[in-house]
Amino acid sequence: MLELSNLTLAEGRVAHLDDVTVSFRKGRLTTLLGRTGAGKTTLMRAIAGLAEPDRGRIALDGKDWSRLAPWQRPVAMVTQQFINYPHLSVLDNVAFPLVRRKVPQDKAHEAARDMLGRVGLGTMIDRRPSQLSGGQQQRVAIARALVKKAPVVLLDEPFVNLDYKLREGLREELVDLLKAERETIVIYASTDPREALQMGDDVILMAEGRAIQSGEPQNVYARPGTTRAAEVVSDPPINLIGMEVSGGQLRLDRLADLPAHALGRDLPAGRYTLGLRAHSIRQGGDLSARVSLTEVSGSETVTHLQAAGQALVMLERTVTNHALGTTITLSLDLGEALVFGAQGRLIEKEPVHG
Amino acid sequence: MYRQKYIFLLPGLLVLVAIILFPLLFTIRVSFSSWDVYNPGLNWIGGENYARLWEDARYWEALTRLSVLTVGTVLLQYTLGFALALLVWRDIIARRFFRVLFLVPMMTTPVVMSVIWRTIFHESLGPLNPILDAIGIGAQPWLSQAGHAFAAVMIVEVWQWTPFMFLLLLAGLLSLPNEPFLAARIDGAGPIRTFLSVTFPMMGAISVGAILIRLIEASKLMETVYVLTSGGPGTSTETTSYYIYIRGMRDFQIGYSASLSLTYLIVMSVALTLIAKALIRLMVKDRT
Repeated sequence: MLELSNLTLAEGRVAHLDDVTVSFRKGRLTTLLGRTGAGKTTLMRAIAGLAEPDRGRIALDGKDWSRLAPWQRPVAMVTQQFINYPHLSVLDNVAFPLVRRKVPQDKAHEAARDMLGRVGLGTMIDRRPSQLSGGQQQRVAIARALVKKAPVVLLDEPFVNLDYKLREGLREELVDLLKAERETIVIYASTDPREALQMGDDVILMAEGRAIQSGEPQNVYARPGTTRAAEVVSDPPINLIGMEVSGGQLRLDRLADLPAHALGRDLPAGRYTLGLRAHSIRQGGDLSARVSLTEVSGSETVTHLQAAGQALVMLERTVTNHALGTTITLSLDLGEALVFGAQGRLIEKEPVHG
Repeated sequence: MYRQKYIFLLPGLLVLVAIILFPLLFTIRVSFSSWDVYNPGLNWIGGENYARLWEDARYWEALTRLSVLTVGTVLLQYTLGFALALLVWRDIIARRFFRVLFLVPMMTTPVVMSVIWRTIFHESLGPLNPILDAIGIGAQPWLSQAGHAFAAVMIVEVWQWTPFMFLLLLAGLLSLPNEPFLAARIDGAGPIRTFLSVTFPMMGAISVGAILIRLIEASKLMETVYVLTSGGPGTSTETTSYYIYIRGMRDFQIGYSASLSLTYLIVMSVALTLIAKALIRLMVKDRT
């Protein structure tokens, strides 16, 4: 198990890592999910020894890494950029970590050739990285990371600079490749909640340099501990709406009064925040809203709306092109709604319908 | 219409003819004459000058000496220049100060620098021998013994031109992409392995360029020898350029020195071409 305890790293007044304590299990793919600047890359760089924490401890199976130089750490890493050695052939690129470990060259080349075959580059071993496409260059970097058989593999948004189709394909290939590595700790950084939910065995949510929640992806998605966690784990963005409860009645700020709603029955009177995922807002109903942006992605449509000064996001599982500025009517399905207390913490409840 | 382009090419062509082509052709013609201070003029003596130089041991010795000096000093300049460039490449304290400091020798006029070094090497008045004496090495016959004088010329050349090598190599290092170094750190390569497997190979093209520029420059070595040792003691530090200068400008054997110059030009052109090819094959991996 890889354990990080109280990891803190700041530059001036900006905290890139703020007292991060998390652990990663062997044979599992853990996704670090957070927006840009959340501290994912810094955390990976700290694990790899490329960034020096001000405080805290990194230990693999109880063995402290804090004093190990980067080249002494058993870590492989793939970054966002396609990082390879431009002066070496594809084969020598992949064999490099093995040659560095004084593996005989023929054996290093054999292992590299095998790994290149597995990532689909078996016919390109004599080329230079500059003669390959972006996706192929990143496969070289992935092959180089995996050929080391390092106990810890760090994947820092490896597909973010590739086009959508290629990203999907490579992601599936990578998951297949990693399944074979049963003793390996794989850490995968992503800004895309869907990717994290699809790929990861575990997920750690990060925001402002802190690890704000961890667990199995479905649990974290279903019960984000705070409004911040809900924002990080939701794509399209979750709708957070101020709410007043009094006598079982819900009053959504600027939007609607919902008399004697099931959601309000168990809540004491007071202020809350309602978390409503985009798919829980549907077209047709009593609420009117103006269309401010429509995004069509694949077979889904995400529509950004303004309703009485409250910004809302609606997800439809069809391709619908709402004209900008037009007014449409909406209904809110509170069945899967999340309720957060005054401190922004999730109030656990049984699923309700009504 | 296309004829007009020749009008624009004419000034350049004229300059080329005036400063390169004509002197070269004229030198070739002069080399087949016995033009000297007693018989100035372009008589025709066939290959007599070339036959003479073939037998001229002093010329071939000077050429051999020049080759040793050139290769030796350039290798030293490359090694030291690379080491200094690596030293101030990454973040170190007072990096800018050191970068400028290392360039100072190159900014000094070569002849002035040689005069200063002649004073330093002076066996009884110079400051070097008392220092060597004080640290127990003892005074050395810097300019009066063949081996020492040869070493003195090399020291001055290395001192003078290492900064040039440093400058080119530092520019090369600064232009290297950062990603392969990051990859090397992640792949577990320590500083020495990173230098051998990443820095040095990636510096191949710029290294070949820097070495060739210096080889071409060093093969013309003349002023240091002229000022420091005047080719002596005896002819022990005489280089080809200096020997041609003696024959042409002191003895006024214009015809003979023309044949020496042309032979020197051909030998150097062939040698440098071969060296360039060998260096490219050896050091530049990415020739695609």
